Amino acid sequence: MLAQLLADIASIWAKYGSVYLNGIKNTLILAIVATLIGCIIGFICGILQTIPCAPQDGIVKRVILKIIRILVRVYVEVFRGTPMILQAVFIYYGVPYFFGYTFSSIWTVSIVVVSINTGAYMAESVRGGIMSIDIGQTEGAKAIGMTHFQTMLYVILPQTLKNIMPQIGNNYIINVKDTSVMFIIGFSEFFAVHKMVSGAIFKYFPSATMEMAGYLCMTLLASFILRWVEKKLAGAGSYELVNADQLAATAGTYNYPKKGSPFDETSKEFRNER
Amino acid sequence: MSENILEIKHLSKSFGTHEVLKDIDFNVKAGDVTSIIGSSGSGKSTLLRCINLLETPTSGEILFHGEDVVSGRINQSRYRAKVGMVFQSFNLFYNMSVLENCLIGQHKVLKSEKAEAMDRAIHYLDRVGMTPYINAKPHQLSGGQKQRVAIARALAMQPEVLLFDEPTSALDPEMVGEVLDAMKGMAKAGKTMLVVTHEMAFARDVSTKVVYMADGVIVEEGKPGEVFVNPQNPKTREFLSRFL
Repeated sequence: MLAQLLADIASIWAKYGSVYLNGIKNTLILAIVATLIGCIIGFICGILQTIPCAPQDGIVKRVILKIIRILVRVYVEVFRGTPMILQAVFIYYGVPYFFGYTFSSIWTVSIVVVSINTGAYMAESVRGGIMSIDIGQTEGAKAIGMTHFQTMLYVILPQTLKNIMPQIGNNYIINVKDTSVMFIIGFSEFFAVHKMVSGAIFKYFPSATMEMAGYLCMTLLASFILRWVEKKLAGAGSYELVNADQLAATAGTYNYPKKGSPFDETSKEFRNER
Repeated sequence: MSENILEIKHLSKSFGTHEVLKDIDFNVKAGDVTSIIGSSGSGKSTLLRCINLLETPTSGEILFHGEDVVSGRINQSRYRAKVGMVFQSFNLFYNMSVLENCLIGQHKVLKSEKAEAMDRAIHYLDRVGMTPYINAKPHQLSGGQKQRVAIARALAMQPEVLLFDEPTSALDPEMVGEVLDAMKGMAKAGKTMLVVTHEMAFARDVSTKVVYMADGVIVEEGKPGEVFVNPQNPKTREFLSRFL
């Protein structure tokens, strides 16, 4: 039995190997590009949803924020709550139907569909990630005069990214597998290759076995790389003590522009006192 | 010397129906080291957080060099940069090293030159004895070390007033000393400081003015010699008798 299976796989590979490899290539490109764009969409939505809104802010700002929040909510609920296979059909046929615009490339539609689907999931992950950062981090940043935008960019989002890295990996692996539904609009990814080849030579099981192994290889490789990235993001486990004398020699050599405050410790009075 | 940096007028703060601060009035002059003492829940921390606009006062005015900062005319971020704050829970940025913590505000808020920012960061880290650790991440440091870095970070912004919100309350007794020493050094250097503290020895020996708060009002204020030696209000007397 097993020998028969291996022989079948070998014969399929000999004839259609390059087609399968091309399918793998398309699947990987679609999954990577769509996950990246989805992350960007997710971060934008997550950030928009967490803009603070104080009662003393102007009515215009509050109304705009409210509308943004509603729009993001609707987007998330719609694209998280419907199957991606249906979204693909909906957009592929819906856009020409309403706008008369026909997609020039099947790549464009596929990337759009998978990206906005991923974005809907990521929006919630990012929102959760931002909320999980201790409020003290925001207060610390505000206390040294950072604006909300600076606080997010330099303090909150770097920590959020690290925290939601496992979630991004999750989404990527889901995308590697779920892009298979794109065969419905004729995108020739890995699974579409199986449908085509097995339909031509009627060897369904050997081809499916190859597909199983192929997908598993792709996802295992992804898990492995993601673990490595997480480790990198965690930073060094130890630090080097710095020789204090070396630093003390450089401190105080800079010639400050006169600021003129008597309490500026770099002022002349203070230096003399010291 | 006698100019008021901060004037707080009729400041009130309520959380829902709970009135935490009731009609607070007081001034901070340049060079003052003011200790705010009082039991937990008396509104000390809320007062400090209102001054830094981390809480929005329900009513009243906070004047910074005569300009009201609550009404929103003045740029809030720019005001906060001039009023530094050191927190009980340190609030160091966990994604940055010790050095970066002291640089980020200078780069992004003050827009200082790179060399100037670096020099200033190292200068203040040196003052609090943390230069050997500039490459460490906050989670690799002890509580006392974190708080000293937080003080250096605040100082590096060259604030006109520095607010301390119970800076030693999260530390064990051995580490309290090192943080208080850093604060004493600053007081000696003439920094204007507003310190909420339970360290009565610090309030008595280092500060130039002591404010005693209870139930959201200022019960008594004066020179530490007067308040500690001869408290006028019976509430103050009772509070201090538990410490001295």
